[in-house]
Amino acid sequence: MSTKMLGLILAGGKGTRLGKLTANQAKPAVPFGGRYRIIDFPLSNCANSGVRNVGVITQYEPLKLNNHIGNGSSWGLDGLNSSATILQPYTDNGGSKWFEGTAHAIYQNIDYIDSQDPEYVLILSGDHIYKMDYADMLEQHEKNHASLTVAVIDVPWDEAPRFGIMNTDSSGRIIEFEEKPAEPKSNHASMGIYIFNWKRLREVLTAGFATADDMVDFGKNVIPYYLKSDERVFSYQFSGYWKDVGTIDSLWQANMEFLDGSDGLDLDDRSWRIYSKNTIDAPQMITEDAEVKNSMIVDGCYIDGKIEHSIISANVDVQKGSEIVDSVIMPGAKIGKNVKIHKAIVGENAIIGSNSVVAEEDGKIAVVGNGEKIGVLPNENK
Amino acid sequence: MKTSKMCAIFSNQHEYSQLKPLTDERALSTLYFAGKYRLMDFALSSIVNAGINHIYTLISQEKVRSYLDHLGGGKEWGLDTIGAYEYLDFYQNLMQRRARGEEYFNDLILFLKTCKMPYTVFIGNKMAANFDLQAILHFHQSNGGHITTVFKRVEKGNLASDDHAFILSDGNVVVDQDEAIDLSEEGPYNLATNVYVMDTDWLIHQLEKAQKSSLAYDVAERLAYLSVKEKASAYEYTGYLRNIHDVNSYYQANMDMLDKDKRDSLLYGSQKIITRIRNEVGTYYDKDSDVKSTLIATGCKVKGEVKNCVVSRRVGFAKDSTTKNSVIMANCRIKSGADVEYAILDKNVVVEKGVTVKGKPDTPVVIKKGTVVDKDFVLE
Repeated sequence: MSTKMLGLILAGGKGTRLGKLTANQAKPAVPFGGRYRIIDFPLSNCANSGVRNVGVITQYEPLKLNNHIGNGSSWGLDGLNSSATILQPYTDNGGSKWFEGTAHAIYQNIDYIDSQDPEYVLILSGDHIYKMDYADMLEQHEKNHASLTVAVIDVPWDEAPRFGIMNTDSSGRIIEFEEKPAEPKSNHASMGIYIFNWKRLREVLTAGFATADDMVDFGKNVIPYYLKSDERVFSYQFSGYWKDVGTIDSLWQANMEFLDGSDGLDLDDRSWRIYSKNTIDAPQMITEDAEVKNSMIVDGCYIDGKIEHSIISANVDVQKGSEIVDSVIMPGAKIGKNVKIHKAIVGENAIIGSNSVVAEEDGKIAVVGNGEKIGVLPNENK
Repeated sequence: MKTSKMCAIFSNQHEYSQLKPLTDERALSTLYFAGKYRLMDFALSSIVNAGINHIYTLISQEKVRSYLDHLGGGKEWGLDTIGAYEYLDFYQNLMQRRARGEEYFNDLILFLKTCKMPYTVFIGNKMAANFDLQAILHFHQSNGGHITTVFKRVEKGNLASDDHAFILSDGNVVVDQDEAIDLSEEGPYNLATNVYVMDTDWLIHQLEKAQKSSLAYDVAERLAYLSVKEKASAYEYTGYLRNIHDVNSYYQANMDMLDKDKRDSLLYGSQKIITRIRNEVGTYYDKDSDVKSTLIATGCKVKGEVKNCVVSRRVGFAKDSTTKNSVIMANCRIKSGADVEYAILDKNVVVEKGVTVKGKPDTPVVIKKGTVVDKDFVLE
């Protein structure tokens, strides 16, 4: 059975700028908002948009990501004519196939895409926080008889030089693409979300790699080639919340915006739920001595300390006398007694021994890595 | 995955009029418990945690919806996989077939023969407990009898009128049983927990014998009787157990979950309690919230005072509201200025602005599912 639009999520990035938090896992697997991982957003958007077949392209430290996605059942992608497929680099008679760029990763998975026989492919990044209806984008793509549609979002003019900027005519057709322009002509930034007519993209990728005109990267090679050869390339204007959580600062900030509700994500909206792999934990317990203000807490937590303006993820233990302010505590972290944590991100399963302090000076964000132990005496290490 | 030598009979037969109106529209098995669970999760988790995936389930044909809605395809409990075998039957079916003079245990016997498991466990629906059925099986195997019963030492208050209490010899062998309704002293008594582990061949033989003489279709009652007749060995369950049979026992069992030891025993033991997955966002605590000693599920928005409560999913507590010593089920709204104490609010209840709902520690007020409370309701 053929698929109208196949979803392909690029989830192989290392996320170097997230430092310790991606030392042992890919960026899309980084926890977000207490109960989610970043990749839940594109995956749930696919499920909610009726994109029933999704390939997830992984490369760097994929174990946790693979475990999280499984057969896609958490997103309802295990049903009839639905699938979630993990696409790892592999070797064949032609040698190894490590992915060298975004478009190269698609090229290396041509066999998988052909097996799904799609009319369109939807290319997504695995590291953005947003809610978007891809069906609406496809409708516009078809109406425009486009060969490629690029989702764009208007960014503040002073930030435009950090993005790939799409200059369009009055019909929304993209006439020029500038990667990180010093003097941008517009503020339409590419969100790294593309709908391609698969037949044409397949030709372009295959011909490119056959003639050493390598189509390694969408931004650097494929989109400029499409524009040069006068393909119908259109923009799709998006206006909701969209956040690239590629740095410690932006990850912390996105969590705080989520906590304050200033992002407008509205995850209570049951018509567009964000799904995640749920580990079925007991409800959270707030004890007699706990004090919780302006915070979000999820299942499996035991809170015996003071929590202020923080996100506490699943199965976190906070012992008596501890104080957590302006922080994000990731799943499974254990916080001892009389600990002070200020403006920090504490990684998954980290252990913070009693009386420790986790904070930086000058308003910087303190980071404790996944599984890292701080102030834990050897005989305390249970 | 440990492979099991057991199949299970999961009997959702117990219903009590003393639990109304909480069980008006739902089976006792699907009562909310400890925030995010339903009562049936405890028995079902005990079953699947023992590696059992061949289950014969008896439910009431009058309360099908809540049961099937919660179980779905059984995915969360790992019952949707190859090798799992589920059989659903109505106990009214057994009753009617018996009345027509038919062989009412034939489907159950066919199930037991199809499973080809040497042992069968029977488990009821009303105990909030976390049984280790593998441990009970080992006990059964080492004692060599046909049937092993499981008891819990309880005071009289933890007995329902239709329960059985076993009289045991020094070596924990069943010598007789009492009907709880005949007991007058405080106890302690050896409550029959409605958990039995049996040799399957022996059970098939007993069921065939029973239907030939048109004996009671109530399997639990038959097994209690057979435990005495066979001088069954009795396994003592020492973990947390609460026998849910009326509003008060239901309320107390929920309040028990605020006690660390009891909560740890039931919810944080070596065996995880499995329930249906919903995808709720985390619970949000506003700057004006004041929450103490409360067990709370996800998807809630708390802006008021909440103390000594057990709260289910998606509940809203408005600013300047007070809720104490109460059980709040899913999707309730406590509006500003409302004052709720010693109450059980069923699903979708709304307590309007400034309204007081107050019961007493021994007699909590129960507000029926979906009620909008716009006048004070205070128990004198």
